[in-house]
Amino acid sequence: MNGMLHGFGVAFAFEARKAVASRVMVSITVLLLAGVAAIALGMLLAAASGQEQVLAKLGPIGELDGWARLVGVVVQVTAAGGLGAFGVALSWMFGREFADGTVSALFALPVSRPTIALAKLTVFGVWAAGVAVLLTVVVAVLGFAMGFGATDAAGVVELARVPALAALTALIAVPAAWAATIGRGLLPGIGATVVIMVVAQVLAVSELGTWIPIVAPALWAIAPASVPTAALLTVPSVPLVFGALCALAWSRLQLDW
Amino acid sequence: MSAPAARIEASALVREFRGGAGVHGLDLTVAPGEVHAIVGLNGAGKTTLMRLLLGMLRPDRGDVRIDGVDVQKAGPETWRRVGHLVDHPLAYAELDARANLRAAARLHGLDRQEAAAAVDAVIAEFDLARYADVRASRLSLGNRQRVGLAAALLHGPRLIVLDEPTSALDPAGVILLRESLLRRVAAGAGVLVSSHHLDEVARIADRITIINDGRAIGTLDPSGVDLERAFFAAVHADDRARSAA
Repeated sequence: MNGMLHGFGVAFAFEARKAVASRVMVSITVLLLAGVAAIALGMLLAAASGQEQVLAKLGPIGELDGWARLVGVVVQVTAAGGLGAFGVALSWMFGREFADGTVSALFALPVSRPTIALAKLTVFGVWAAGVAVLLTVVVAVLGFAMGFGATDAAGVVELARVPALAALTALIAVPAAWAATIGRGLLPGIGATVVIMVVAQVLAVSELGTWIPIVAPALWAIAPASVPTAALLTVPSVPLVFGALCALAWSRLQLDW
Repeated sequence: MSAPAARIEASALVREFRGGAGVHGLDLTVAPGEVHAIVGLNGAGKTTLMRLLLGMLRPDRGDVRIDGVDVQKAGPETWRRVGHLVDHPLAYAELDARANLRAAARLHGLDRQEAAAAVDAVIAEFDLARYADVRASRLSLGNRQRVGLAAALLHGPRLIVLDEPTSALDPAGVILLRESLLRRVAAGAGVLVSSHHLDEVARIADRITIINDGRAIGTLDPSGVDLERAFFAAVHADDRARSAA
């Protein structure tokens, strides 16, 4: 057991080092934060100027004010854009080993491949938690810059939905890691991300799929009242199932392509 | 329990791919203190064989034992004694040479202090000091291969498996590798190395096995005078025999 934990610590440090040194993870972080902030700001300004198309797109959120409107827009954008960012990050973390050929160096080591796969997922989780916190900070700065600190002081509690939605979205992106492994490259992971995104968004817009774990976060972003807490608690089943599948796939891996 | 006679032993190894390529019943051993070279043309099955030996592929039939332990059941204690470079070196583009080597040392089971000492030693051994702080993405192919070889050897493995280790090395790198392997062999390591550069292999091999069409078809005398002629004669004779069959 100690050996396993030691191996996990080594693998975690190794994967964290790669993630920190890579421009890919930094770029995804910056693009996600800047993208969500820019889109949210643009939509809010357009809605404030009375553009009917934007108001129609916002739906019930368009009738809200202050923090609730800002956070409503941010979580909707994050449910789709964040999923893309998290899926691309996982696709890179797992798929790059095959695309770069480095996977062969991960065989015949005292640290097992499933341990390395779980370390990758853990690094992803830590990074995603950091992104959730940073996104919340960015949204808070945006809200205070728009004057909500004075005009809607009580509404600031709405901000709590931002990290919650970002974390839930990161959890449902984990199948991308499994797809990148069995497809042995980045593209299968990105493809899986697109499929999850389309299914989640289409069903959520139709207000269907409350109890489908990959749909619940997007639905909660659009219509929080329609998704009970118990439905959100089913979301961790996605990383549990696909994390286990991922570890199994790395355990059974062969260089036979 | 007596020590196993072989660092690695493959028996009746078979792994066949669609189209007929693969390894078709191959026996092979590497003894402690021995350099065993395998030579063959491209597509002869050398890399497939090495992948089977290291658990990168599962055999259809036959088995592989490292220090007497079945590869399919090998645990950390077995793998920490193995160093390999097959296909791609452990050299991540975003990490500098030192960080790659430190990662390799830790992944091979060395603790922090051991890893730091081993990295310093192997950087000196492979003359990598100038490149220690350079990202692998900016290294030449040859220097990246030096980093990969250093990563495979820095933990003092007892079994070393290297596929075409000199393919991108300059002459100085070839000499460094040769001397490095001989030092480890003198300390009891067993080395399996593949190559199609017969002269360079012959300089350090104790045994040379010819691989053709996934089979061991004969041996070459490392002290022989015209290895290339003997190699091609064996390969062509085997090709003719298979065509006639």
